[in-house]
Amino acid sequence: MKVQRVSLWLLGAMLILCSVHTHPLRRCWISMDMRHVEESFQEIKRAIQTRDNFQNVTILSPLGALQSIKPLDVCCMTKNLLAFYVDRVFKDHQEPNPQILRKISSIANSFLYMQRTLQQCQVQSQCRCSQEATNATKIIHDNYDQLEVQSAAIKSLGELNIFLAWIDKNHQETSAA
Amino acid sequence: MLSLLVVPLTAILSLCHGFSEHGTELPSPPSAWFEAEFFQHILHWTPIPNQSESTYYEVALLEYGKEPWRDIPSCRRTLEFSCDLTTATLNLYHNNGYRAKVRAVDGSRHSNWTSTQTRFSVDEVTLTVGSVKLEMQEGSILGTIQPPRPQMAPEGNTYEKIFRHFRQYEIAIRKVPGNLTFIIKRVRHENFSLPASGEVGKFCVMVKPSLASRTNKGAWSEEQCIVLSKQYLTVTNLSVFTSVLLLCGALAYCLALQLYLRHRRKLPSVLVFKKPSPIIPVSQLPYPEMQDTIHSLIEEAFPKVSPELRNSDLHGSTDSGFGSAKPSLQTEELQFLLPTPHPQACGALGKGVPTELQDSCSNGSHSSTDSGICLQVLNYGPGPGPTWEQQVEKASQGQDDSGIGLVHNSEGQPGDAQSGSTLGHVSLTRPEVLEEEDPAAVAFPGYLKQTRCTGEKAAPAGCLEEETPLTGDLGAQFRTYPDAEADWPPPALAKGYMKQDPPRVTVAPSGSPTGQWNQLPAEGSFLGLTNSGDLGTSDWSFIHDLAPLDCVAASGGLLGSFDSDMVALPLISSLYSNE
Repeated sequence: MKVQRVSLWLLGAMLILCSVHTHPLRRCWISMDMRHVEESFQEIKRAIQTRDNFQNVTILSPLGALQSIKPLDVCCMTKNLLAFYVDRVFKDHQEPNPQILRKISSIANSFLYMQRTLQQCQVQSQCRCSQEATNATKIIHDNYDQLEVQSAAIKSLGELNIFLAWIDKNHQETSAA
Repeated sequence: MLSLLVVPLTAILSLCHGFSEHGTELPSPPSAWFEAEFFQHILHWTPIPNQSESTYYEVALLEYGKEPWRDIPSCRRTLEFSCDLTTATLNLYHNNGYRAKVRAVDGSRHSNWTSTQTRFSVDEVTLTVGSVKLEMQEGSILGTIQPPRPQMAPEGNTYEKIFRHFRQYEIAIRKVPGNLTFIIKRVRHENFSLPASGEVGKFCVMVKPSLASRTNKGAWSEEQCIVLSKQYLTVTNLSVFTSVLLLCGALAYCLALQLYLRHRRKLPSVLVFKKPSPIIPVSQLPYPEMQDTIHSLIEEAFPKVSPELRNSDLHGSTDSGFGSAKPSLQTEELQFLLPTPHPQACGALGKGVPTELQDSCSNGSHSSTDSGICLQVLNYGPGPGPTWEQQVEKASQGQDDSGIGLVHNSEGQPGDAQSGSTLGHVSLTRPEVLEEEDPAAVAFPGYLKQTRCTGEKAAPAGCLEEETPLTGDLGAQFRTYPDAEADWPPPALAKGYMKQDPPRVTVAPSGSPTGQWNQLPAEGSFLGLTNSGDLGTSDWSFIHDLAPLDCVAASGGLLGSFDSDMVALPLISSLYSNE
């Protein structure tokens, strides 16, 4: 009888710990409207992707890296990719066309807002990174470094639709749930 | 020397030009792009200028991030500027997109490659619907949207699974007589309902899909039309109809029951000449509509009239207001004739042809709707006049009047005539008539049968106050009646008929009858005749309108008033004289 009670207590504790562990991930999701960012990208998509001459190389999806991210690593991966674009891609790209530059700036501002939202989760220790997420982030940075800066930047901007679709998929499912 | 080198050089140059044209002579297609729907990915390109009939195009496809380019041989068709790459791009909804390129080939010549400007990804897929089904249900249009089900889609790659969240549809409805289209609403499910709001006619609906989380464009579906008509056989209508039917059945049953009960009633006592029943209190009297009811009065309750009046002729009218048959005259000997009043005869009376009345009265009842009193003017003149006859049996033959009919009495009584008593010998129906009166049928308060002429004055005071104006002498005559009110004795039991008021009028055998005369109905005003002074034959119709005269005439006390005031007598005499 005592053994049963102890086992039940342990099972309950494990369930509580799992829920606590996963709970931050479920609460740490981006609730902003992504349509504005997607519409801005669609307007510059043709201009950006036309200038990408290396069609057989991808930066964000080497061997489907993003597709293999687990739900627990979504918060970490989102945070890392937002930092990648804000800290490297937007800064390295030199856009001569002012209209395209305006759209890129709008996208960058939206990414900054998303970073602030995820920082709150990080402060609350609700956005921890696993080894898999860390490795996937490193691959992306390596792919970016293999190309010439302008080509890498233009290619990364051209792959924004991949990043936005991944965010939409992972955070959309969370919000819908 | 130089001339010898020109020829070989020219040959060499021509050969070199031919080689170059074989590789890059053809111009490249100006552009290439994808036009895609759900699992229907078509690559389009613009043709090269000045192409020949043998020119065809080569298509190559690259999955973004993977090498090498794949040649699509199925696209090598002449004079075609598009190619279906669905089979080669089945992984579109799970990868990062594709790149495609096209070049023109004509024989040994080919053009440069022309690539699509953007990577072909899921964002470029135009959303569509498979079908829209409409049906009408309880006044609303129910729609069901069927997502596309292309045959090329691999198993498990349905529209709902690929676009799992935030699917929505815009619905546009249009009424066929007209091109005005309304976008009713946006729904987030594949089922929708549009309230018709009672509209009938043909309606056409279109649907455009979209995704709230994506920027994919949507295409309007084909119009689906439905005809809305008035639905009569709905559950609501059937229930209402059933309830109304049940209600009507209940009403019909109640009506039939009431009719059955009414048929069981006896004939009014007016139609059955039997012994008079005792005086019925006024409170028991029915409503004035039952004009055929005759109440008998206690003879002793009414004062006896003077002998002169007792045997004098009484005027009669064509109505049931034979209360003017004064109680004083209503002795047992006096019998009012109760033939069926003939309307024409009564009209003839108005014309001053009373002789005709006799025949009409003697003929018994007719289908008249008046009081049944058929006057026959006494012939006080030299000529023979009709005789008063006792016609008891003839008065009750289905007529709905009081059954009182006055018949001329040719037995002229000069004395009475001289005294102005033009009242003929009126025969009252026998009191037996009242015996069989159904209390329910005796609802008519108009006439109170009197058994005896008490000879006492009636108190017509109250009735004189009736609103019906009297003209000339007629009015003057009645003004005298209030004087007699003070002397009004209790009505004695008498035979005859005294017109009664509506239920408020009480006929108390021992009580003062004054109150009776205060409230008398306005119909049947023949009684006024007896009290009018100079009524001529032309006044017959007028008399009918004299409501208060009825009470006056019906009062037994009035008979007493004739003792002192013989003003009525000249009227009758004048009537006789007109004959």
